[in-house]
Amino acid sequence: MTVASTTLPTSLRSFSNAQIALACVAVALCLTIVQYLGLLPTWLHRLPEAIIPNFAAVLDAVFNFVKDDLGLLAFTRFLTEGLEWLLDFSANIFFGKRRFPNIGPVPWTAVAATAAVIGYYLGGWRLALLGGGTMVWTALIGQWEIAMQTMSVLAIAAPLAFVIGLSLGIAAWKYAWVDRVIKPVLSVLQTLPFFTYLLPAVIFFKVGPTAGAVATTIYAIPPMILMTTLGLKKVSPEVVEAGKMSGCTKAQMLRHVYIPSARTEILVGVNQVIMLSLAMVVLTAFIGMPGLGAKLLAMMGSFKLGRSFEIGVTIVLLAVMLDRMSKAWVIKLPEHFERDTPIWQKHSMLLLGLGLFIGFTLLSLVVPFLAEVGRGQDFSQGKELDNLIKAFLNIEWVKATTGFLRAFLNVQVLIPFRNFMLSIPTPAFILLVAAFALALAGRREALYALVFFSLVALSGWWDRAIITLYSVISAVSLAALIGLPIGILASRSNKWSERVLLVCDTAQTFPSFVYLIPAIMLFGITDVAVIFSILVFAMVPLTRYTIEGLRNVPEEMTEAADMSGATRLQKLWSVQLPIALPTMAVGFNQAIMFAFFMVIIAAFIGTQDLGQELQRTLAGTDLGKNFVLGICVSLMALTFDLTIMKWAADKKRMLGLQ
Amino acid sequence: MNKFTTALTAGVLALAPLSAIAADSDDPIVIPIHNWSSQIVMSNVVGQILEMNGNAVEYVTTDSQAVYESVRLGDVTLEMEVWEGAFGASFRAALEKGGIVDVGDHNAVTREDWWYPMWTKDACPGLPSWEALNDCASLFATAETGDKGRYLDGPVDWLKHGQERVEALGMDFVVVNAGSAAALWAEIGAAEADKRPIVVFNWTPNFAEAVWPGEFVEFPEWVDGCDKDPAVGPNPNALYDCGNPANGYMKKAAWDGMEAKWPSAYAILEKIDFSNPQIAEMAKLVDIDEMEPTEAAEVWLEANEDVWKGWLN
Amino acid sequence: MTAENPVISCKNVWKIFGPDPEAFMKTMPEGMSFEEIRAAGYIAGVKDVSIEVHKGEMLVIMGLSGSGKSTLVRCFSRLHDITGGTITVEGQDIMSLSEKELIDLRRSKMGMVFQSFGLLPHRTILENVAFPLEMRGQDKHTRRERALEVIKLVGLEGREDYFPRELSGGQQQRVGIARSLAIEPDIWFLDEPFSALDPLIRKEMQDEFLRLQQMLNKTIVFITHDFDEALRLADRIAIMKDGAVEQCDTPDQIVLHPATEYVRKFTEDIDKARVVHAGVLAQAHASGEGEPQDAGTTVHDMARMLVNDTREMIPVHRAGVSIGAMSRKAALDVLLGGDS
Ligand SMILES: Nc1ncnc2c1ncn2[C@@H]1O[C@H](COP(=O)(O)OP(=O)(O)OP(=O)(O)O)[C@@H](O)[C@H]1O
Ligand SMILES: [Mg+2]
Repeated sequence: MTVASTTLPTSLRSFSNAQIALACVAVALCLTIVQYLGLLPTWLHRLPEAIIPNFAAVLDAVFNFVKDDLGLLAFTRFLTEGLEWLLDFSANIFFGKRRFPNIGPVPWTAVAATAAVIGYYLGGWRLALLGGGTMVWTALIGQWEIAMQTMSVLAIAAPLAFVIGLSLGIAAWKYAWVDRVIKPVLSVLQTLPFFTYLLPAVIFFKVGPTAGAVATTIYAIPPMILMTTLGLKKVSPEVVEAGKMSGCTKAQMLRHVYIPSARTEILVGVNQVIMLSLAMVVLTAFIGMPGLGAKLLAMMGSFKLGRSFEIGVTIVLLAVMLDRMSKAWVIKLPEHFERDTPIWQKHSMLLLGLGLFIGFTLLSLVVPFLAEVGRGQDFSQGKELDNLIKAFLNIEWVKATTGFLRAFLNVQVLIPFRNFMLSIPTPAFILLVAAFALALAGRREALYALVFFSLVALSGWWDRAIITLYSVISAVSLAALIGLPIGILASRSNKWSERVLLVCDTAQTFPSFVYLIPAIMLFGITDVAVIFSILVFAMVPLTRYTIEGLRNVPEEMTEAADMSGATRLQKLWSVQLPIALPTMAVGFNQAIMFAFFMVIIAAFIGTQDLGQELQRTLAGTDLGKNFVLGICVSLMALTFDLTIMKWAADKKRMLGLQ
Repeated sequence: MNKFTTALTAGVLALAPLSAIAADSDDPIVIPIHNWSSQIVMSNVVGQILEMNGNAVEYVTTDSQAVYESVRLGDVTLEMEVWEGAFGASFRAALEKGGIVDVGDHNAVTREDWWYPMWTKDACPGLPSWEALNDCASLFATAETGDKGRYLDGPVDWLKHGQERVEALGMDFVVVNAGSAAALWAEIGAAEADKRPIVVFNWTPNFAEAVWPGEFVEFPEWVDGCDKDPAVGPNPNALYDCGNPANGYMKKAAWDGMEAKWPSAYAILEKIDFSNPQIAEMAKLVDIDEMEPTEAAEVWLEANEDVWKGWLN
Repeated sequence: MTAENPVISCKNVWKIFGPDPEAFMKTMPEGMSFEEIRAAGYIAGVKDVSIEVHKGEMLVIMGLSGSGKSTLVRCFSRLHDITGGTITVEGQDIMSLSEKELIDLRRSKMGMVFQSFGLLPHRTILENVAFPLEMRGQDKHTRRERALEVIKLVGLEGREDYFPRELSGGQQQRVGIARSLAIEPDIWFLDEPFSALDPLIRKEMQDEFLRLQQMLNKTIVFITHDFDEALRLADRIAIMKDGAVEQCDTPDQIVLHPATEYVRKFTEDIDKARVVHAGVLAQAHASGEGEPQDAGTTVHDMARMLVNDTREMIPVHRAGVSIGAMSRKAALDVLLGGDS
């Protein structure tokens, strides 16, 4: 207390950030010790209920005002009709919903053949195999119709995200004020827990594929905006000037010069849109998205592990296929044909694809199996997989390990850690976070931390927020303990890097829900299961960015280290890691963001955090509370995001890497 | 649709002129699908019945709590399974806000309470009495609960008052809340492997009965007011000192505009009424016989014509 | 040199880079030096330049890297908005042009070759060359014809369907040249157009360029670092330093009478004998005897005669008409590097 009263009022300028941070920590420590001695007045430990403002009611009122009085609902419902028409159209094509134009469904063999040809065109026989193989698997495993239900929505949602993202990206690039408005909105959107989107999506866009498509689109837009802006900014000035000297009007400039020149970045954005859309397949099933996700939830609801696992595999295959194909498209640059190449040769792939498509469509009229794989014909191994999973969980050493982990980790580590975090007085905790931001980033970030966490305290959900944070911190720390060494080891060789990155891709696209059940079966309904399921998810970016950071260390530097006679360890420690650190920090940040995302989903296991409360609000009676909880999560995530990204940027600049 | 239903539709359509009401809108009736088998099959059964009535039907997957908001808005037309225990609160809140109507109860009753799979009885033979359960409490201990037993309650939002009951009856149990039904199944599934004793929250009708035979724990019988008046029940100073009512309702609900828009369909919905064994059978077709829900609905309709024929107008 | 109005005329043109150039320009004290401006956080890309380019003239701009050559040319075409002064092109103040007028001007009159080519990476050579025509709205067939024509002119026939990245640097540069030629501009800006070419092709291109110039008589502003090239092509040379034009004159004058110490240093290593013509040395009122020299002959070409001859004054003719006589000693001074 004394420290506070002497340092804070005097001019802060005369102290270094480190000194102030230390002072904050000291105050926090004092407060905590006083609390432990039982001398701290309760109003200093936790904000008294009486002074907590009723944000929920205010937000509820605001929401209702915007919805009804401003007529937003009428407007979005109007949009919904158009969207519904589009979705019905694609639904007819993909799985034969009885709507205009009444020509679907396209037979699976025709789709598989086309996918293979596209794969071949983009990346040779490997991608052809991946494209065709994924489709064949989906059909044979008996998931064709649900997969196509999913695709019919994605086929509308992803292009929508692309168009909106591209337009907003262009606007943000062109007008500084749009950029200024969009940036913070994007940050909040990206950190807002999914459960907070759910109800507004249902209310504004009608439960069903429409709400699913909207939620998917909103989720997939941000990277598209960012990549578009980035690409447009990078167009070489001379190309722009060449355009101007050619007499381009503004529109011609955009259409013929800027956008084609930013092709690579824009396509990377497209890739991100596709991947994020697929990541939403399961979550959007809560609001009416049909297909794989809905089926997965139903399968999990009746404890059919094998079938849920198979659906998970399909989702991964679809994701990997679309990912690889779109990436191949990014690097595929136009190639010239020698003059006098006959037309059919120039378009041989198009013709082949069309030919196969029509061929299989006709053939399937004769051979029904080629049109649809019926139930009973499929090769689903659900039951066998169930038994396999159960048998694995029943192996003696597996049980012993998980039993030990559960007993040790939960009782000795996690629970005491959680209790400790809960025992820290609110003001002390806020000071600690501010000190962290100050030491790592700077005063602006520290101020944000201070304000954001104070708001969380004012929301009245402090304890639950702390438990949320505890899960995130525990999971990310454990993920770092495991993920970093894996990344470091893998980065040593090309082969291993590739393998580990492939595992990362798979783990990331595998629907997170599928992890929940095995996590519970391994660890019971405990914090260990919660943290395990977060950890699987959070480890991916940590490992990925560690590999990327280490592999991108400039060669001269490692060679210089070699020439100075450094051992492998010395080289790693004093050359590679410091240079890779900023990149690794980005991975660390992403791990935290993923953890915040997943911790909310882990409410399905059973937690006592914000996620659990959020889940409670789904009945739709508590919109205001739903927003408050969502914003609490967002504020905490943003604090870390801002701090770590600033640190990484500073570090990069210092190392001259930008 | 298979031949059978087509034939049926044709038959019903032939009868149609007899019923004069058929002034239903051509817009599709939207039926919600949740994530448990009996509800999915029942929704499909009802959907197919309405199709026979000449209505257009569409299904939409939704969350089982968030669905009430959608019914209020008219985006979803009806809801076939409103469980007193699990969804009563959401349903009542929606009723208060308006836009949703109660279309009556099913014959089926629901029971939700402490439950154990049969193998538990081998370790604790005194079951199903709750006193016997309490005597075996240490059998249910886990790493986190120390000597006390662990009772796995439903998600907090189901408001099952497990904690209150443990205190009211002075039981040696720690209550842990699972986050979802799936989490409960996962725990039972894990316990099944080595036949570990386990006591969890469960309900009927439910697929689990078919997969894991088991029984409900018998608590002091429910008396009205047990949740409001401490004097009621064995412990004169506590609420929730009895078991849950063994016959909770299962309702049908609909959008309040349904009656005007699809009068004939609404009339059918009012008559529809399923019993516990019927629901269990629907669930079984999917959970044990591994049918697809649409298929299961067709099979069920074929086998139970006498049940639903009378509901048609 | 014609007496008509200049095609491009700029008066006291400034181009300042920095956070708020207009405000800085207004408050800037008179006569601030380049260094002082830089100390204030601004860069004078073009500093108080007044220069004129006449019809059919080829003006070559030279100067060290960063001296503002490209910037000046960009001001001519209004790729940069100037901070101060006026630039008129064919009598019109280009800063007053509307967006549409500017586009029209560029579409119909101007061509530019960029230092680093500025090719559109996603278009084939043919499409790149035809790009300005496409922007003008010409139909596909005509623009293809025309593009093929200029592609042939720069010696790239057969590569029409290649993409820029499939060509070498020199080839890419020629695509840039072809593109700028496609619309047959009256005013042609060339920013180091031959820098990436090998000596052989460079020579060829220069010859081709001179031929074209004789045929089409365009107004050209040409940037180069290569003095030989400048001498071969230039009617006048402007030498820039720190954004300002130090001297702008004919090659002979620049070598013979450098206006500043900087220009003298800049031209020091040049073999003056190859630059200076008899015509420049001729004194109008003097007269000489014997066989006359043509005004266009360089001192270098007269070397043998100058050494062997004994005349004091040698008559100089241009196109068979006497324009005076030159002093043999003066010519020998140029040849041997003495004072002129
Ligand atoms: N867009 C710009 N913003 C800021 N400064 C610029 C810009 N363009 C040019 N400059 C500065 O103006 C000065 C002149 O640049 P310019 O490109 O005209 O040089 P140059 O004479 O063409 O050099 P080079 O021979 O290397 O092409 C340089 O100091 C450069 O850094
Ligand atoms: Mg230049």
